[in-house]
Amino acid sequence: MSDKSAGYGGDKSAGYGGDKSAGYGGGIDESRLRRALLEEADELSQKLGASLMSLDADRANAQLVNEVFRLTHSLKSESALMGFGVLSELAHRMEDVLGLVRSGALPLGKPVMEAVFSGADLIAEMMSAISRGGSDAEFATAAVLGALSTAAGGAGTGPAASGPAGGPVAPALPPGEVEQVTLGEFELAQLAESRDRGEDFLRVTVIVDEAEPMKFPRAWLVFSALEAVSNVVKVVPPLEGDPVEDSRYGRMTFLLTADDEKGVVRAATGVDQIAEVKVERCRFDDFLSRATSALAASAAAATTRPSPGHPSAGIAAGIAAGAAAAAAPTAAEKTSIRVDTKKLDDLWSLIAELVLHKSRIARLSEDVGHGMDAQTVREELVEAFDSLDKISGGMQQAMMDTRMIPISVIFSKFPRLVRDLCRKLGKSVDLVVSGEDTEIDRSIVEALADPLTHIIRNSLDHGIEFPEERVRRGKSEKGRVSVSARRQGGTIVIELADDGRGIDVPGIRRKAVEMGIPGAGTLAEAQLLDLVFLPGFSTKEVVTDLSGRGVGMDVVATRVRTDLKGDVALRTEADRGTQVTLFLPLTLTIVNALLVRGGAQLYALPLTEVDSTAKLTSSEIRGEEGRENAAWMDEDIPVFSLGALFEGGRRRSDECFALVLRHRDRKAFLVVDELIEEREVVIKPVDDLLNSQRMFSGVSVLENGKLVFILDTSFIRREKF
Amino acid sequence: MGANILIADDLSFMRMIQKEILTERGYTVAGEASDGIEAVEKFKTLRPDLVLLDITMPNMNGLEAMRKIFSIDPRARVIMCSALGQQNLIVEAIKAGVKDFIVKPFKPERILSAIEKALRS
Repeated sequence: MSDKSAGYGGDKSAGYGGDKSAGYGGGIDESRLRRALLEEADELSQKLGASLMSLDADRANAQLVNEVFRLTHSLKSESALMGFGVLSELAHRMEDVLGLVRSGALPLGKPVMEAVFSGADLIAEMMSAISRGGSDAEFATAAVLGALSTAAGGAGTGPAASGPAGGPVAPALPPGEVEQVTLGEFELAQLAESRDRGEDFLRVTVIVDEAEPMKFPRAWLVFSALEAVSNVVKVVPPLEGDPVEDSRYGRMTFLLTADDEKGVVRAATGVDQIAEVKVERCRFDDFLSRATSALAASAAAATTRPSPGHPSAGIAAGIAAGAAAAAAPTAAEKTSIRVDTKKLDDLWSLIAELVLHKSRIARLSEDVGHGMDAQTVREELVEAFDSLDKISGGMQQAMMDTRMIPISVIFSKFPRLVRDLCRKLGKSVDLVVSGEDTEIDRSIVEALADPLTHIIRNSLDHGIEFPEERVRRGKSEKGRVSVSARRQGGTIVIELADDGRGIDVPGIRRKAVEMGIPGAGTLAEAQLLDLVFLPGFSTKEVVTDLSGRGVGMDVVATRVRTDLKGDVALRTEADRGTQVTLFLPLTLTIVNALLVRGGAQLYALPLTEVDSTAKLTSSEIRGEEGRENAAWMDEDIPVFSLGALFEGGRRRSDECFALVLRHRDRKAFLVVDELIEEREVVIKPVDDLLNSQRMFSGVSVLENGKLVFILDTSFIRREKF
Repeated sequence: MGANILIADDLSFMRMIQKEILTERGYTVAGEASDGIEAVEKFKTLRPDLVLLDITMPNMNGLEAMRKIFSIDPRARVIMCSALGQQNLIVEAIKAGVKDFIVKPFKPERILSAIEKALRS
């Protein structure tokens, strides 16, 4: 088994043996398993948020109720598997409430909706804390649990439900779903050993007498009786957790192995207060092959396989399908990815073509041996090379595509955000989202979530006026915030606009003058607005007074400009609103760049930042050393040189090559020693030691092993070096 | 029949009820104890077939008494009597090896069926 369990981890059925696998170090990559589970739980949590929004808009929709119920149920199980008891408990309570709604016992009114919403929020927060290495235990759940219990109107949730039998007690789980059992590595190893010993593999279902006032200890009693005559592999629901919700233990499923089936039956029936005991034989292969099939399961199509013929099969499969259909992951620091199978298929067909051409070249070399004339061989070779070139280009694209995910994974959170903010602020806003299908590199998507959220928050907080004020100003009572994404060549453009009061530009100028910013009195509006992105400028005291943006626009700018190599721009019109535009590269990892030489060192400049190449003669360069200028088109722009920047000196010849660099609205010449070629480079992070001046956005290594520094052209905006 | 049973409960009327139920069914009440210490001592001297042990008792609580009893005889048959809300204590007792538990207030049938099953094991 050990060979087969390697590489295990992406599958839904990969149960994490919370209790028993603790301390088990049998070469199992638990961290991978855990990551996979985490990812999945995170998706579930996001899906839950989205489904709740839909449900809120369409409360009579039974299908949506079902969906939300299933999601909380899956979340409960997943988090329990990972050992997140607090989260699991919360999800469980939500599930209970939703179960009542589903059965028609509880109307889906506002209190229920609000309580479930706040539960989903808390879960999302927990998930994000967990993905940062934190714990669900850091969160206080009492308030939300209380709200859930109040919303349910004491109709059978919470500890109250675990009292003596008599009153209507809501089933903690619909029968059947309890039995969706997944096994962790340790349990599977146990199973494999038992099979080798020739034991029977049994599923024992025990139903505790309704009259039993304390079902949890009763379950323990059954467990210890079974443990005495068998090897209990798994108990559902698990027998740990504190506080315990007693009503969950009315029906227990034990997976166990034993050499004496009758002894098992005797042990289970020997416990008092048991209404029913059912013993079924299971096939080891149903579970053991399920584990190995995890290897084969494609990343997108995770499936669970409960034992065939089992009544829960359909339900369990439904849960799995729901989870698999969930949106792509967005939590920070993901290292495993889900890929649309179509993208993998594309890649696969390219590889097939590659193989085809490989044999073509092999045949050509044979032909040469058989005396084919050189001209024909050359022509064929050129053709083959062209094809290979296309294929490798296609493969690169296909590979890059696997990194692309739709930006909807972030956008889908906005309706909720806006809704909550509106409620909190007492404002009324229509959110218009478009272009959510636009695909963008997943690492960029992940890094964008916070800045975008921040910008929207600012819009609602500071941009959009209160309804009365809007009416006074002759605007519609309801504000409007729009979010859009589109692809523009190699750039993704994201626009966030509001129709609020706009930024007080004269106010910024006053503040800038006050702060002693050079030339503040004469700066153009665009430059003034750019000040908002300066650290220390957009502090709360400053900008809130300007009735414009709130805190932290500098954080947004840093993230977008420095981390993502993108750009951000502001436009505003008093009383009409504000627009924030983000320009982002499609992907961070590969760029088209111009390779140049300065001294012995090679540098690369992203083509998006090179306007042109030019020849400069020494007579064209004016000004003192360090502050030189030259004419370009009809403006004077600064002249930098690679030699001066990196080697402390300048080699000047009468005529030199220069690039015209552009960073946003600034241009500059960069004098280089040699223009080498235009090519794609793979960007790798650059060591801080090599980058103390922050001149590079990364490094790349060429086929010949040479190191290339990728210049961050934002340096042309700097005053000093 | 006539198994010997030791009853340990700090409330005398509780002991009285239990005694009545047991004797009616033909069991012999070997002795009564009103706290944990007394229960352990009587277990030592009387060696009953089964002990009904209340969890909440003065001087030495039922859990502690249970441990002492098991250290005297690991195969002792002990049934814990508990109030609602003592789940965790009972689970602790089950892990230590008690045969069953009864939740107060109990019906006569419940106590009798628990005793029957425990004696059969």
